[in-house]
Amino acid sequence: MAAAALSWALRAARQVLPSPCPRQVRSYYVDWRMLRDVKRRRMAYEYADERLRINAIRKNSILPKELQEVADKEIAALPRDSCPVRIRNRCVLTSRSRGVKRRWRLSRIVFRHFADHAQMSGVQRAMW
Amino acid sequence: KDKSAASKESTPEGASKRQEDGAETPKQQLLDIIGNMKVEVSYRKKLQQLKASASKKQALNKLEGPDSEGSVPQGTTEDTQRGKSLNPELVKAASAVASSLPHNKKQTESELLAQLRRHEETTDKQKKGGTINIRNIISEMTVKRQSPAQRGARISGRISLQLDEDGQRIRPERSSAQSIDRRKAKVYGSLKVGKRLNIFTKASTEPEHALKTVSSPTIWDLEFAKEVAAVAAQPPRNGFEEMIQWTKEGILWEYPIDNEVGMEDDAEFHEHIFLEKHLEGFPKEGPIHHFMELVICGLSKNPYLSVKQKVEHIEWFQKYFEEKKELLQEI
Repeated sequence: MAAAALSWALRAARQVLPSPCPRQVRSYYVDWRMLRDVKRRRMAYEYADERLRINAIRKNSILPKELQEVADKEIAALPRDSCPVRIRNRCVLTSRSRGVKRRWRLSRIVFRHFADHAQMSGVQRAMW
Repeated sequence: KDKSAASKESTPEGASKRQEDGAETPKQQLLDIIGNMKVEVSYRKKLQQLKASASKKQALNKLEGPDSEGSVPQGTTEDTQRGKSLNPELVKAASAVASSLPHNKKQTESELLAQLRRHEETTDKQKKGGTINIRNIISEMTVKRQSPAQRGARISGRISLQLDEDGQRIRPERSSAQSIDRRKAKVYGSLKVGKRLNIFTKASTEPEHALKTVSSPTIWDLEFAKEVAAVAAQPPRNGFEEMIQWTKEGILWEYPIDNEVGMEDDAEFHEHIFLEKHLEGFPKEGPIHHFMELVICGLSKNPYLSVKQKVEHIEWFQKYFEEKKELLQEI
């Protein structure tokens, strides 16, 4: 019995695959701004549906205006960090807020560093 | 000891073959020939053979004296031989030979009897063994190395090889495996024959039932399992193994790419498109109805949401409008 349970657990563990060679895992965010950005993203994800629905009521010409004003107030009452507008696409490695390329989520300096060391797949110095 | 045993082995065979001359099957004739070939080879064996035959005659005479078993017809000797129990004559002859030899009498006697028994078994099996293929027998003779009459075997092997030249040379090799197996079987006896020793109990075949009664594995079991997996998992030797590892971890997608990985949409298309049945809680006229129709139209065109999410949207609107009913009635 125990053997069967163990084998099942082994199979599950093998699928999860604890890494045999431990890689470096970052346990902290780069700085507090990055942390706040992370919080905002999580909140925005939570309230996304509600915001969508209330906005649907607000932004239409069919429903009476009173209803729409009520909806305005409601959406303003939601926590500030829940709106997606406050999210800033920061650099993932350095938390730089400016000069971030969206495709790689990296700031221009980090991007250049990796590209020169040939660690960016498919990126090459332009020459024409 | 071996030679005496060999002689004893060959002589009872020879004796039994001489006795069985009455039954003239070609196989037995051949066996006679081969047995005789074996016997004629070594001189030492001849001497001992003479001794043994003399003792055997003495035994026969002894038997004939008290009982009339000496006149036992040849058929019954055959029967007794087939019945795997040793002929009492042979037993007595063996004891006589053992007594004649200088070494430990009881030991030699037991060894001789064991040899006899083995040989009886082999002869029985040769007789019983299905299609009487002479070539198989000859090839068996070639492969036999355990036989105590080693020189005899080799020479008989050479002779039989000469005989076999006309046929296919592959035969001795092909049936060597068979003959080895047969030989092993003869030496050790068939596995299913004989008394059960009752040493091993049959393993109960109920692991499936046991599985049902298992409680969920404890944390310690899981940890142990993880440990074992970590120890067993060697670092990848090549790129393929690395990719396999990544796929297991979820870093790498599975190819060919399935666009619907993770999406378990069990609902049919009509549940996505025809959402009017959810509109029952709303008023059937007025701006709200108009608004909800638009909502439904938009949801039906949305391929990214599941049916559950769409229904949740509609229900939220229902709740919202019910809360605002008083307001709406003022308007």
